[in-house]
Amino acid sequence: MNRRACLEALLPLVTDQLVVASVSGQWVWGQISRHEGNLLLGSMGNALGVGMGMALGLPHRQVIVIESDGSVLLSLFNLPTLGTLHPDNLKVFVFDNEAYSGSRISRPTATAAKTDIAAIARDSGIERAVTVRDLDAFNREMSSALKGPGLGFVVAKIEETFEHRNAERSDVDLMENKYRFVRYVERTEGKPIFLGRG
Amino acid sequence: MEPDLASKLVNGLRSAGINFVTYLPETRLSQILPLMREDKFFQLAPVASEAEGVSIAAGASLGGKQVACYMEGTGVFVSTYNLLTVAERFGVPMLLLVSYVGSVADKRNSFLYVRRGTRMIPVWEALGIEYQILSDGENLETRIKDAARMMHALKLPVVLLFTGEFTS
Repeated sequence: MNRRACLEALLPLVTDQLVVASVSGQWVWGQISRHEGNLLLGSMGNALGVGMGMALGLPHRQVIVIESDGSVLLSLFNLPTLGTLHPDNLKVFVFDNEAYSGSRISRPTATAAKTDIAAIARDSGIERAVTVRDLDAFNREMSSALKGPGLGFVVAKIEETFEHRNAERSDVDLMENKYRFVRYVERTEGKPIFLGRG
Repeated sequence: MEPDLASKLVNGLRSAGINFVTYLPETRLSQILPLMREDKFFQLAPVASEAEGVSIAAGASLGGKQVACYMEGTGVFVSTYNLLTVAERFGVPMLLLVSYVGSVADKRNSFLYVRRGTRMIPVWEALGIEYQILSDGENLETRIKDAARMMHALKLPVVLLFTGEFTS
């Protein structure tokens, strides 16, 4: 199982949800999805927090977070906070390749040793956190998380792939992405996001 | 902080439209928390780190909430990565409510806090984030509204640093 196969499986299930992706997920997701509700953060350690805030602020709207093992480990304090605040409309997918797989390096993360992100999540109060190890299980748990009620948290153990090292980099600046995202939220929620319009 | 001042601060936030607040409790301004908890106007999000306080507030802001992050000055040093990579880089309006521990007018200043205080302003200047220092309750509501208007105009965080009467 690899990240692209999982995200291609997720793609048809994304309609009007808001999607927040951390840096490792955004290469593939940004290529295959042109959804206006994508917020591609371009940094590690922020997607879960930003997605959590969005889900709390828009409790009627489903919010999807695309995370990675390195990014979750960088902001591990997110898990007890998520378990405490527990937004039922948030669906988190952590793609765990057990590696810091940057543009040039490949070094193991703690999940390559003994750390189990789903277990930490469960012990933090995210009761339904699960780990999946093949595409059939991913499809089943993803579908259940998106279609069912409650906070979803799926850790997908994936192979390390290197396509991101050769992938064409997007020329959509983070600020441009933000405005496209915000205008989409304004249009679909029927309310202004930014005030101070002169 | 005297109870009246805490009420003025909370009323100021309310009248500035702030309706979503992330927080990590600290000593100087903590009297505002029960007041906000009792007021349904405010949606509160307790956090485990000031770093995620910023990221969660950013997400809520991009979803249409008028947000504030309440933290001790020490938390500023914890959250600079998130301030830079999300709030500043994306341009997200948020009001930062920071107890200015270790500042000259901090009534509880000691060797524990002073180093943090002396390095506080250079951090905001390095981040390019506007700040205001508040040491008393005079015109507090107006000053909070001014800061909120500034954050909307800039589409960036704006910081209120509380010292003096707020730290007694």
